[in-house]
Amino acid sequence: MHTKSPLLEIKDLSVSFKVFEGDLKVLNGVNLTINEGEKVGLVGETGCGKTTTIKSVLRVLPSPPARITGGEIFYRGRDILKLKKREIPSIRRGEISAIFQDPLTSLNPVFTIGYQLQEIIKHSLRQQGIEEVSKKELKSRAASLLKETGMPDPERILKSYPIQLSGGMRQRVCISEALRVTVKLLLADEPTTNLDVTIQDQILRRLDELVEKRGTSILFITHSLGVVRHLTHRVYIMYAGNIVETAHTKELFSNPLHPYTRGLLKTVPKLTGEGVSEGIQGRIPNYLNPPEGCRFHPRCGDKMEICINKKPPLFNQGENQMVACFLYGR
Amino acid sequence: MTEEIMRVEGLIKHFFTKQGTVRAVDKVSFSIFKGETLGLVGESGSGKTTVAHTLIGIYEPTGGKAYFKDQSLEKDYSGRSKNLKKEIRIVFQDPGSSLNPRWSIKQILELPLKVHGTPVNRDQMKRITELLNMVELPPEEYLYKYPTTIGGGEKQMVAIARALATDPSFIALDEPTSALDVSIQAKIINLLIRLQKKFDLTYLFITHDLSLMRNMANRVAIMYLGKISEVAPTVDFFQKPLHPYTKMLLSSIPVISDDEEDLKPKKVISRGEIPSPVNIPPGCSFHLRCPEKMAVCSKIDPEMVEIEEGHTVRCHLYADG
Repeated sequence: MHTKSPLLEIKDLSVSFKVFEGDLKVLNGVNLTINEGEKVGLVGETGCGKTTTIKSVLRVLPSPPARITGGEIFYRGRDILKLKKREIPSIRRGEISAIFQDPLTSLNPVFTIGYQLQEIIKHSLRQQGIEEVSKKELKSRAASLLKETGMPDPERILKSYPIQLSGGMRQRVCISEALRVTVKLLLADEPTTNLDVTIQDQILRRLDELVEKRGTSILFITHSLGVVRHLTHRVYIMYAGNIVETAHTKELFSNPLHPYTRGLLKTVPKLTGEGVSEGIQGRIPNYLNPPEGCRFHPRCGDKMEICINKKPPLFNQGENQMVACFLYGR
Repeated sequence: MTEEIMRVEGLIKHFFTKQGTVRAVDKVSFSIFKGETLGLVGESGSGKTTVAHTLIGIYEPTGGKAYFKDQSLEKDYSGRSKNLKKEIRIVFQDPGSSLNPRWSIKQILELPLKVHGTPVNRDQMKRITELLNMVELPPEEYLYKYPTTIGGGEKQMVAIARALATDPSFIALDEPTSALDVSIQAKIINLLIRLQKKFDLTYLFITHDLSLMRNMANRVAIMYLGKISEVAPTVDFFQKPLHPYTKMLLSSIPVISDDEEDLKPKKVISRGEIPSPVNIPPGCSFHLRCPEKMAVCSKIDPEMVEIEEGHTVRCHLYADG
């Protein structure tokens, strides 16, 4: 199980994008903590800022147009946002790694899987101070990495190019690249969204085993509530650049508090077949002129006077749940 | 609901490529009854979209027969009568690429009207307004907008309006919500269900999302490598799945409550990937991944057998009835 010391702490992160029409104020004070060995889910609809959040952590936001307008990101007590340019790779290639939605664009199409994996292993060994490794050793390490992710016939895969593999296999390659020895925090950005449920099931089970075994922390970004329920200890719900609710996974599903979370849970089609509820009216706001106060108020069924003017902070509800809604505090 | 509106008998669609013959649809048979929603599920590459496209007339079938109200569907689009084209319509998966970005919504909805009849200009305008109202887009706001300026959900509503324009009786819905968020998906699904009741439409609903299927379809057919493995009324399909592939799919669904968890078949662990339709394994095409494989499975392809009324399965486990 996880201990209580925070590995990654995002505090009041605000990010905006400069476009022709003005500033898109996307992230609006995001607070998020991942403890050591913890599996955390970040759920939200398209365009709510999930990917922007992890891109800020990785420092890969293209700037311009992106600009971090406020906040801090602490990784083991060091502010990532204050790192100098040459210091960034040490974090990005060292202890934090990421897997993305589309494995075909994360892999280089002109090199074999074996070459790409060996490069990463070489780099990660160099960081541990090991310079000389035999080719044979590298190859067997690459094969064993692939084997760990449940890849059938790793020897053949090492000689193949990304285009020759199926989507599920490519994602397995990305996972084995990301889970190299030194990694402490894995950021997974919708890694199974493009895959069939049977493949998703296989990959998630394997990913979970690997993460458990190594004690790696994981931030799992997805729009699938089902996936989060299976995989994580704790969940953050995001809406329009704000964290609206966070709770232990079990509590979130048994006792959702924020009107958005409740609506979202209702709209998910269920196997028990009671029909699909329409849940939430309207659509995600335009970031050029986001609503004042609580960004959810134009769509909220429980809107009050205060919601229009004031942004709700995260209120504690019980020990493990926090919700950004004036229904639960002033 | 007993009138058969579409009958498909041994439909075959093969594609001939340099790498070999792609057997996308291989002797598929099913019926669709008036006013129902037949769900077609399967993993990517199972041939579900090819079935829809062949029925619509985008492809000409390689073999087999298909009938719509006793009219043969053996020709592709160019060889079909106007009346047939008017009756069978389709909504595609990605509304971003199925709507012309250079046309306003008015122009998009005008085209099927021009082709299929309402000649007078004023009548056309009236019909377009009516269509937009049907899909709950306020006409005064959307009429002169272009697809690129509206959201994905709204685009899909325009695509639905376009399908409705000719007053069809059958619509193929090819993963209409798989590119959308759940809250928008919920709106579209509810709209489709309302429209079905109002106009007595028959749907062929294609998706890979089984939870959605549970809430949308009257009957479900499951496809694997170009063949149908099991057909059952929706409730039976989810409560008494028979085919090992159905069980595997059901057990892989990520669900959000314990009630749903109880419905999933236990102890079926998903493994393997769908093979290429160029090299279909001999015998039962599923035997490589099947947890209940027997010696006969790698040699003989099983026949479809009826277990209960309306519940058919193609698997050697049930071959003796």
